[in-house]
Amino acid sequence: MDEEYDCIVLGTGLKECIISGMLSVSGKKVLHMDRNKYYGGESASITPLEDLFAKFEMPNPDESYGRTRDWNVDLIPKFLMANGQLVKLLIHTGVTRYLEFKSVEGSYVYKGNKISKVPSDDKEALTTDLLGMFEKRRFRNFLVFAQDFKEDDPSSWKAMPGFDPNTTPMSAVFAHFNLDRNTIDITGHALALYRDDEYLAKPALDCLKRIRLYSDSLARYGKSPYLYPLYGLGELPQGFARLSAIYGGTYMLDKPIDEIVFTDGKVSGVRSGSETAKCKQVYCDPTYVPDKVKQVGQVIRAICLLDHPVANTKDALSTQIIIPQKQVNRNSDIYVSMVSYTHQVAAKGWFVALVSTTVETADPEAEIKPGLDLLGPIKQKFVTVSPLFKPIDDGRESQLFISESYDATSHFETTCLDVLSIYNRGTGEDFDFSKVKHNLGDEEA
Amino acid sequence: MASVKIPEHKIILCGEFGVGKSSLFRRYAADTFITATDRKSTLGLDHYEKLYKTKSRDVKLQLWDTGGMERVASITSSYYKFSEAAILVFALDNPDSFNVLSQHLLDVVTYAENAKIFLCGNKYDLKSQILVSDADMETFSEQCHNLISGIYKTSCKTGEGVEEMFADIASKLGDANRSRKELDALTDESFKVTTHLDSTPQDSCLC
Ligand SMILES: Nc1nc2c(ncn2[C@@H]2O[C@H](COP(=O)(O)OP(=O)(O)OP(=O)(O)O)[C@@H](O)[C@H]2O)c(=O)[nH]1
Ligand SMILES: [Mg+2]
Repeated sequence: MDEEYDCIVLGTGLKECIISGMLSVSGKKVLHMDRNKYYGGESASITPLEDLFAKFEMPNPDESYGRTRDWNVDLIPKFLMANGQLVKLLIHTGVTRYLEFKSVEGSYVYKGNKISKVPSDDKEALTTDLLGMFEKRRFRNFLVFAQDFKEDDPSSWKAMPGFDPNTTPMSAVFAHFNLDRNTIDITGHALALYRDDEYLAKPALDCLKRIRLYSDSLARYGKSPYLYPLYGLGELPQGFARLSAIYGGTYMLDKPIDEIVFTDGKVSGVRSGSETAKCKQVYCDPTYVPDKVKQVGQVIRAICLLDHPVANTKDALSTQIIIPQKQVNRNSDIYVSMVSYTHQVAAKGWFVALVSTTVETADPEAEIKPGLDLLGPIKQKFVTVSPLFKPIDDGRESQLFISESYDATSHFETTCLDVLSIYNRGTGEDFDFSKVKHNLGDEEA
Repeated sequence: MASVKIPEHKIILCGEFGVGKSSLFRRYAADTFITATDRKSTLGLDHYEKLYKTKSRDVKLQLWDTGGMERVASITSSYYKFSEAAILVFALDNPDSFNVLSQHLLDVVTYAENAKIFLCGNKYDLKSQILVSDADMETFSEQCHNLISGIYKTSCKTGEGVEEMFADIASKLGDANRSRKELDALTDESFKVTTHLDSTPQDSCLC
């Protein structure tokens, strides 16, 4: 490894693998290392099942769990929005060819101790059991407005006199359509997927775009706006790692990272044992630079192994349930996502549910109880509370670019925003999707 | 005119670095050979599809190269997923590359359990330096409880045996479609994401 590179990437989590792929595609000479001997870091899907039990210091699973290598369990649960940023990245980089997806079967929201399907268009607004008769009409009018809304066409805003997407706060839009607190909760948290209520005071544009993302994603594959890859999310970093390798990136696993070397305040290399690889830039996740990040919060995640689907979901083999903050008197939502054997992440007949939220109290496990209660009997539960880190600076000075920890959101939109921002800070430009050869390897004889 | 879609069969190359996997890939894709281990020339090439006409039907082989990841790191487990066949490649002049194949075989059966497995001794042109005998290969195959569906000797340098190997693999995959069926069951209802809105079935409402 005593060579010179343009960039060294540390850690093979999803963000670092996407960055590595984008840098290699852009012609940079990349060395990508991980201290673990497997790809994916925290974004890996754990297999076989013994490894998951061992990770939580538990004795091996008994025979009821079936063949243990049929299990691929994610530590960080997320879904892809079918029309979201990650899917765009997958398509434009060609990484989609390494993956197979299934559509998540149901998208539910929790209200008054039960779950209901998320109503996402004007027809569903009128049939949902979530709202009273008059509220349904008002909600429908709002959704029609949101569906017709075009950012660059003021004539599409006329249902609300005086509306300007860049100045009118979202709360004023809700007020104009007379929506009650419940409906606002469902809209902001189950459709626009906000984690808290700060958006209410902000210009309406972002919220309307998010509602559009939800409905466009839903329109793509039908049942829900969410996608999930066969064999688990760990397939995603691996796909981007292969992209990087195909474009010349060098991979080294199981490499202790002993030091990031600086010269005059700028990174100049990475040392592993007695070897030092020189470079102009380093990209890494927070775990490689504990003194260059600050803790901004905590996430709790409970992985639950079930031998049955979630009640009231029509026995769906995959579902997402959002518990909006206000429904359970919290400041951040609780997310429940469930996948199963049909995604090759569990042995036949088994389900893997994940309940997560941003920690607000000293007893985080009690905070996710409303989510756990929806699952019914749980065969095995693995709980982690992880700190959320952010870099202390944007890296431009030192050329050390650090990603943020994976947040509690149930999808990859914030993940992609962070990656695109890091790429922009590191290279001074936005990623040019046209750099990737579109027919990469697809030529036919 | 209606056209029948011919399903492609993913085949992966496995084996130590330097045994000639990329050379096999290059012979297969472009029928060329280069002596230098020039990595750059295969950059950006990921997999390659070719149509074979076998006795039973048309078979489209889709050959994948490792991307050189095995040089210093390990290959991602994704590489194996959805493959229907794996070619275990070693160099006939390098017994070590032959002896480690059991490890590669284990990876294949772990990550692609339905894949058919083929054994390929490469660098057959180095006649005087051959250190792995036909008997060694037979013994290996027997030790693998006959998991090996075919044994070949090839030279990427002269081209000898390369096309014959792929044609034979094509016909073997064409005949037996048991693994195909299992793979289809696995990917039932799954899809690849694409830019085309109308590329996947959807119960659309025409009202
Ligand atoms: N004499 C001879 N040399 C060969 C043959 N096939 C490959 N080589 C040479 O062996 C070397 C390694 O070949 P590659 O095709 O790069 O091997 P690889 O298995 O892809 O290796 P990595 O990509 O490094 O893992 C090159 O110098 C080739 O020219 C062959 O049939 N005969
Ligand atoms: Mg190679």
